[in-house]
Amino acid sequence: MVSMSQTSVPRWAWDASAPAAEPDLRGRVFTLVVLPGAGDVADRWSTALAGRDVRRHECGDVDAAVAALRADLAVARVGHRVLVAGTARECLAVRAAGVRAGLGDDEMAFGVVDTAERAVWCVHCDATTHAAVELEAVVPCTGCGRRLLVYPHVSRLTGAHLGFMVDAETPADGSAARPADGSAARSEGEAA
Amino acid sequence: MNARIELVVATVDDAVPGIRSLALAHPDGDRLPSFTPGSHLVLDVPAGEGRPRRAANAYSLTGESSDPRHYTISVLRCAPAAEGGSACGGSAWVHGLTVGDRVTATPPRSAFAPIHLATRHLLVGAGIGITPLLSHLRSHVRWGRDAELVYLFRDGHGAHVDELKELGGDRVTFLADRAGLAEDLAVRLADQPLGTHLYTCGPAGFMDAVVDLATELGWPSSRVHLEPFGVAALDPGDPFTVGVAGQVLEVPSGTSLLEALEDAGHVVPNLCRQGVCGECRVDVAPGSSPVLHRDLFLDEETRGAGDCLMACVSRAVPAADGRAHLEVTL
Ligand code: FES
Repeated sequence: MVSMSQTSVPRWAWDASAPAAEPDLRGRVFTLVVLPGAGDVADRWSTALAGRDVRRHECGDVDAAVAALRADLAVARVGHRVLVAGTARECLAVRAAGVRAGLGDDEMAFGVVDTAERAVWCVHCDATTHAAVELEAVVPCTGCGRRLLVYPHVSRLTGAHLGFMVDAETPADGSAARPADGSAARSEGEAA
Repeated sequence: MNARIELVVATVDDAVPGIRSLALAHPDGDRLPSFTPGSHLVLDVPAGEGRPRRAANAYSLTGESSDPRHYTISVLRCAPAAEGGSACGGSAWVHGLTVGDRVTATPPRSAFAPIHLATRHLLVGAGIGITPLLSHLRSHVRWGRDAELVYLFRDGHGAHVDELKELGGDRVTFLADRAGLAEDLAVRLADQPLGTHLYTCGPAGFMDAVVDLATELGWPSSRVHLEPFGVAALDPGDPFTVGVAGQVLEVPSGTSLLEALEDAGHVVPNLCRQGVCGECRVDVAPGSSPVLHRDLFLDEETRGAGDCLMACVSRAVPAADGRAHLEVTL
C-alpha cells in the first residue's frame, strides 16, 4: 500500500473523517461554492464569515460550480479565498478549475460531505469514469471497458484519478496487481 | 570546495555614493553561462588587510541573464569591524578592486526566481535590495510580461535609477520615504489581479513591513517572495542537541550548529556563515530529528534525502516525540 501522505490525493478526498476546513480569515473576499447536500458545511462557513465580503453560490452540479467560480475569479483581486463544499469528486473538480485559474493551495479550502465517488481518467482511451470506487480498487472504464486500477494520484488540472489497466501484463487474469515498477503511473508525467 | 569560476574585473562604476557596480568578465573574453533572473553569485573574499579569515559574500546579478558578456553586481559598502562596523569586510574588499583584478566565485545560483505561472509581477525593493529586482524587471520587459516595480531609496543614494527608468518607463515608481511607501502599497497591494506575485528585497525591517501589509490585505504566502540573503538576520531558532564523534553537544537558541561544533574544538570548513556558499555541509545520520533547512545552497532533492545540512544556518526541529537531536559526521 502506498503511504497516502506521499500521494497527490489530498486527505479530504479519501478520509471521510477529515474535518471540513476552516475559512482563512486573513482573506478579504470569499467565494463559497456550495454543491447539493453540502449546505450544512457552507452554513457553518457563512456564520464564521459573518460581516465579511462573501459571495455564496448554490450550484446544482460541477459545471454550474465551475462557471460560478470562474465568473468570480475573472474580476478577483489578490486576497480572495475560495471555499468549496460538496463531495470529494466535486471538490476535486472545482479545485482543478481553481488551479487552472491560477489559485494557490493556500487560497482554496474544502468541506467534503462524501468521499465514495471518484472520477477516474483512463490512460488508454482518455475517457473519464465516475464511480463509487476505493483507491487501488478496480473499476471498468466507461469508454473502453478495460478494468482500471484506481491509482492514488489525482491530476491537479482535471481532478481525476489516474486509472490504468490492472491486468496490462497478465491479460485475462484479473488479480489486482499493478506493474511493479509503477511505470504506467509515471507515464502521465506531470500532466498536473 | 565547491566549483568556482574565475572572473576578471572589466569595469568599475562608483557613480552612486557608497555603491560600487562591477562588471566581471570571463578571463578569455568568452560569453558567460546564462542564469535565471534573480540569481546571485558568491564571491570569495580572501583573508588579509584586517580580515581575520577568508569569507564569501553573495551578490545578486543585475545584468542581462541570457548569454551574458558580463556578470554585473552592485555592492553597498558596509563598514567592517576595523572601522567600527559589523561586516566581515567583504564589501570593503570589493570596493578596493580595480579593473584587471582576478576574482573567484561560484557560478550563478537561483534562489529568487520569477514564478512562471504568475500573470503579473509586482516588484518592491529598497536600497541595495533593488539588485535582484532589476534582473527580474529586465527579463519581464524582454518577454513582454506584465510587471510593475516600486523602488524606495534615499535621495541621491538610489542604485540603477536611470537604468530602471529607461527599462520600465511608467511601470517604475520611485519613492523617497517609508510613509510614502506605506501609502503607495496600501493602494497597490489592495488592487492586484488574482494571478499577481509579489517579490521584495531590501533591509529586513523594510521587507517585514511589506510582508505585514500584504498579509493584512489578504495576500497568501504562496504569492509573496523574499530575497533573504545578506539582509535579514535569521531567527535564533530552538535549542537542540547534536551527537558527534561519540560526544553530545548542546546547541542553544541563538547559537548555530557550526558555532557549537567549533566551540567543541571540531574543524568544519566554512566561508560565508550565512548559508550561501555550501562549504559547511555536514552529513546527518539516520535517527536524527527532521532538519529545518535555512540555507540557499541545497536543492530540494538533496533536502528531501535528509542526509545533510548546512551547519551555519540550519537546525534540528523536534520530531514527533518532542526530541530535537542530530547525529552528524564531519
Ligand atoms: S559557511 Fe557557507 S553555507 Fe555555511
